[in-house]
Amino acid sequence: MRNKLSWFAVPYVAWMALMVVIPILIMVVYAFTTAQFQGTLENFSEMGAYTSVFLRSFRLALVATLICLLIGYPVSYWMAREGAGFQRVAMALIMLPMWMNFLLRTYSWMSILENNGLLNQFFRAIGLLELLGVDYLPMIGTPGAVVLGMVYNYLPFMILPVYSVIVKLDHSLLEAARDLGADSALVFRKVILPLSLPGVLSGVTMVFVPSVSTFAISRLLGGGTQMMLGDLIELQFLGGSYDPHLGAAISMVMMAIVVACMVVMNRFGEGEGEAALL
Amino acid sequence: MRKTNRAGSRLLIGLVFLFLYAPIILLIIFSFNAGDSSAVWKGFSLDWYGRLFRNRLIMESVYTTLLVSLLATVIATAAGTFAAIGLYSLGRKRREALLTVNNIPMINADIVTGVSLCLFFVAFFQGWGSFARWFNSVQSAVELPERLVLGFTTLLLAHVAFNIPYVILNVAPKLRQMDRNPMDAAQDLGCTWMGAFWKVMLPEIKPGIVSGALIAFTMSIDDFIISYFTAGSSSSTLAMAIYGMTKKRVTPEINAISTLLFLSVLVLLVLSNLKEVRQEARERLGAARKPSGLERARQRFSEPRYLWVRRGLAAALACGFIGVVGFLSYVTGSRPVVNVCSWGEYIDPALIDQFEEETGIRVNYQTAESNETLYSLLKSGGADYDVIVPSDYMIGRLIAEDMLEPLDYSQIPNYGLIEDRFKNLPFDPDNQYTVPYTWGTLGIIYNANAVEEEITSWGALYDDRHAGEVLLINNSRDAIGEALFYLGYSVNTTDPAEIRQAYELVAGANRRGVFQGRVMDEIFQKMEGGNAAIATYYAGDYLSMVDNQAEGVDLAFVVPEEGSNWFVDAMCMLKDAPHQREAHMWMNFIASTEANLANMDYIWYASPNGKALELYPEWYEEEYGEPLDMELYQIMAAPAEVLERCTMYQNLDAGTLALYNDLWTELGI
Repeated sequence: MRNKLSWFAVPYVAWMALMVVIPILIMVVYAFTTAQFQGTLENFSEMGAYTSVFLRSFRLALVATLICLLIGYPVSYWMAREGAGFQRVAMALIMLPMWMNFLLRTYSWMSILENNGLLNQFFRAIGLLELLGVDYLPMIGTPGAVVLGMVYNYLPFMILPVYSVIVKLDHSLLEAARDLGADSALVFRKVILPLSLPGVLSGVTMVFVPSVSTFAISRLLGGGTQMMLGDLIELQFLGGSYDPHLGAAISMVMMAIVVACMVVMNRFGEGEGEAALL
Repeated sequence: MRKTNRAGSRLLIGLVFLFLYAPIILLIIFSFNAGDSSAVWKGFSLDWYGRLFRNRLIMESVYTTLLVSLLATVIATAAGTFAAIGLYSLGRKRREALLTVNNIPMINADIVTGVSLCLFFVAFFQGWGSFARWFNSVQSAVELPERLVLGFTTLLLAHVAFNIPYVILNVAPKLRQMDRNPMDAAQDLGCTWMGAFWKVMLPEIKPGIVSGALIAFTMSIDDFIISYFTAGSSSSTLAMAIYGMTKKRVTPEINAISTLLFLSVLVLLVLSNLKEVRQEARERLGAARKPSGLERARQRFSEPRYLWVRRGLAAALACGFIGVVGFLSYVTGSRPVVNVCSWGEYIDPALIDQFEEETGIRVNYQTAESNETLYSLLKSGGADYDVIVPSDYMIGRLIAEDMLEPLDYSQIPNYGLIEDRFKNLPFDPDNQYTVPYTWGTLGIIYNANAVEEEITSWGALYDDRHAGEVLLINNSRDAIGEALFYLGYSVNTTDPAEIRQAYELVAGANRRGVFQGRVMDEIFQKMEGGNAAIATYYAGDYLSMVDNQAEGVDLAFVVPEEGSNWFVDAMCMLKDAPHQREAHMWMNFIASTEANLANMDYIWYASPNGKALELYPEWYEEEYGEPLDMELYQIMAAPAEVLERCTMYQNLDAGTLALYNDLWTELGI
């Protein structure tokens, strides 16, 4: 049966070859050529200049992913304990904000976080600003605002996979653990957490990966003075000098690093059987 | 103890929802704003909803968005689910390798995915073109189309391509979690694999499929950049329309349409939930009540012997749907068309309707975000526009790279109405390619209540006294150009030392924290709301900001004494444009005095049509019953003494452009 099922993968592999691999190969060609399509490694040798952008992007994406996990996991866990009706509605409500255009939502965040924005007006009204002796709390244009933007945009991508795994956990296992004398904390640590790991891995991938390559969030919420990888790549394609060759090269390096991160993470994930025994 | 625990967790879930919905509520509130701003409240109005339904561009883009997102989600969900099942029956090594490839569209920056797909489609179309030509020449029974272009199909393919990974990533953990024995048991007991899949596997992995589909739909509906590079010139999604507006201003019409979409989904959600709750209640009450006729019919219909009827019905529905879509595209395809690309909010939409009525030509009107975005798309071969409206320096670049088609001015009699001072400009010295559309100046916009003195010099941008209050324009040419003006150099200099000196001026101010940020479209809400004191932007947009400024904000505009940039945006035709006759008709129509008056009134950028410029104050008084504020008029259409100190950007050589790019990148590192 297993072998027969693997035929399902065939059309998909063909599709991937056409729609993923060939376009990527085109970009690889770009990365290793000049504007006149002569072979070069120059695009990569320049990469060192962008180290700080790489570090900044990966650092902020990591922070955003951790925050998403810290918020998303308990929310998924609690949601899974509620009634079926509540769950259905809550799940849809979690995705619904994302169906409004990204730019509009980010504009809204800007008016909340501005120096003269809603939050600062609120702080002024309750006398907090006076207490601190400042005109406003600087929020917009800080790395914190960028992380907030990422968390806001990608939190649902953490909640959904984690929730969909937890909701289908085998309850007899939990009961067995309790019968064997484990308290709630122990049940969570030894049973629920290891069993929900696949969902967490999916969630981490789906938050971390787009966070690394996001663009516009750092411009709109971070003030744009500190570029992220997505902005750097975008600038090569849509900036004044149009250098898709350099853009492709930066993107290749970024992908290589992300793939390396994910391979390590998947190792860790496949070992979930052992993790449960610890 | 347990009860309080529950209340606590519900409170936290509530807080998360507050976090998710706070910006949404704000966004909905501003759809009722009487002003143009999405940040400064000017009173309640339903005006934007009325305008929305009259705006064909937005309504069509909503239709395209829904169609492409729904289709892509359905296809990607089905394909992704089966692919995931297939992948999970492979060995671990091969599965991991394939999953890594699967993740590539997710890892890759959207822009790279978009451009690479565009290049791929274009290469495929070229290959197909040569094949079709050969095939048509050797036989005459079947005629293959020789010229394929990007359009709805490529848009849909691209969306399916970036959706599938998300579905797989959501279904995979469920498969890993699933116990395989019930599947085997069901098949041992005589179930076919399909039967076992529907009855055993599907209920088990359903949450994963649902969340995968939800995420796929979300990615689809919000995607801008991949759509932009794969949609061709005839279809446009809502996200594309919105980003196209960012060169000027995203109007609350967009808030209005978002609110409507949001509310309709919410209503659907409530209704479906009510139905389920009622059903559950009914089940709890017991089976005492007899099933209604409808329920009996439904029950009978779901019996196995009607299986083929059900399948036939589904197939008929699918065929019908495809037929309708095909018919619609045939009907629209048989009319003469002209494909136009311009900036968002850069035309009075009534003009498009008027042109269509007068000529019977359908206008496919698309919008781009900036000159550079448009250039990138053209370079990738992804657009077959007939008419584009770039700015001067970009026109120079397009001409230098042989991307424009010379115009036949005998077909554009209204070209004679354009004032001579807008002809034979450096970007098109012999006037072979362009019909001017608008012109204007770049200047400093500042909040007179937030700075002590009247600003007259670019120096104010680099002044420590305004630390944290200055907005730097996020465009290397303008930002470094302003510094060049301040230093007294030519804005078109190619001397690296001068450019570097100008850059140092900007970078120094950046290091000292003078700039609050590098901005483009955000400038509107930042300046109107009094969140920054000084910015640089275009005269026409200043007029729109003044109209929407918050209380306590007093915006002023100045073209600095050191001189500034003046620009012309002009219509031109792309090389080998497929609809050249229609393109000439469109340009002639837009160059007319009536069209120029309507446009000037709508977008507040000055017209190059001498008669329209002269007539406008009179026209305004007739239209609105009050005299035009001549001071504002002079800001829009700068008088000769201001234009005298302004210079036009010229196309720079590749080396200088690369230097600009390097420096601009350096500023962000």
